[in-house]
Amino acid sequence: MKSFQLFLAVGTLSLFWGGVASAHDPVFSPGPHVLYKGGVEVHVGADREKAGQERQSELGLELTYGLTGDWAAGIALPYVSVKGATDKNSGIGDLRLFTKYRFWRKDSLGRQESAAVLLNVTSTNGDDQANPPLGSGTTDALLGFTYGYESLTWYRWTSIRYRHNGEKSGENSSGLRRGDRWLVDFALGYRPTFPVYLKPDTVWILELNGERGQRAELNGSTLANTGSSEWFISPGIFWTQRNFAVKAGVQLPIASDLNGNQAESDYRAKLEFEWHL
Amino acid sequence: MKKLILLTVVSLFWSATLFAAGTQYNLRVDGLACPFCAYGIEKKLIKTEGVESVSFDLEKGLVLVKAKEGVTLTEAQLKKLVDDAGFTLRSMSEQPL
Repeated sequence: MKSFQLFLAVGTLSLFWGGVASAHDPVFSPGPHVLYKGGVEVHVGADREKAGQERQSELGLELTYGLTGDWAAGIALPYVSVKGATDKNSGIGDLRLFTKYRFWRKDSLGRQESAAVLLNVTSTNGDDQANPPLGSGTTDALLGFTYGYESLTWYRWTSIRYRHNGEKSGENSSGLRRGDRWLVDFALGYRPTFPVYLKPDTVWILELNGERGQRAELNGSTLANTGSSEWFISPGIFWTQRNFAVKAGVQLPIASDLNGNQAESDYRAKLEFEWHL
Repeated sequence: MKKLILLTVVSLFWSATLFAAGTQYNLRVDGLACPFCAYGIEKKLIKTEGVESVSFDLEKGLVLVKAKEGVTLTEAQLKKLVDDAGFTLRSMSEQPL
């Protein structure tokens, strides 16, 4: 059963990766930011999650391209490291394709409000037969909506996402079907000093992230120790200068309702670097 | 002698003014809320032929574009560039340099 727990954990971090042009978006959730037309974003980051004796880390490289001023798409390739109580494994994880379309934008002096929809698709290239597995073994899709308000001092965002694990029956080659997952996020940002172009700029962020995962099934039978609801409080920061950004944050669990016998999340942490070229 | 010096200074000033090149376009852009996002505008404008420099006053929502002499940037052209960067051109004015 433990290997199934690790299997279910694989891909959790990918929920927070692959956001498309996440520059001035929250650290752990998406915002409506996209990239300027013809722009290229190079994104390098590291994520880490710990729950009991299980740890999962990801190093990721993302490339995003601005198709228009309101539409961006890209690709993310993670290197995954998974460690359980007795086993550990590392290697290339599931490749992700993502796109975001900002369908509404309201601009005024020093302010921008906007809303976007996003789609992430996770491929099956990661090794799902390894122990612990490095990939989910199914093609997963995440669909989301996000709204954001930003001014020269304050930011606020909200988003809702639904992750469907697996096409058709959703079972991987081991007969495991991971439960679908809902995610909801609220975030506030504050810039303590007035921004000046070409000068370093810092914004502090506080997020509230909620997740609800359905139970998994093995060959059609529901697994008792799966499925959960969790809430996290997530302080973070983004620091930018001209076309370079650093984002960092930590997610701390504040409430959880885990089915059966599951390890509670200890923390999730993230560090990202972005360049707009 | 004083008159000659004064005449020389005035002539030099006049000729410097006469041969000063270019135009400055003052763009009022809405939606500019962060310097990192403003880079998209800089990138789009600086790639435009004849544009020498781009600077920002975020508090006033101003993008200041200096163009070489003989180069004309139209409102339609600038509106599209700003829109492609993800912002809205509210108004613009120009002044000779």
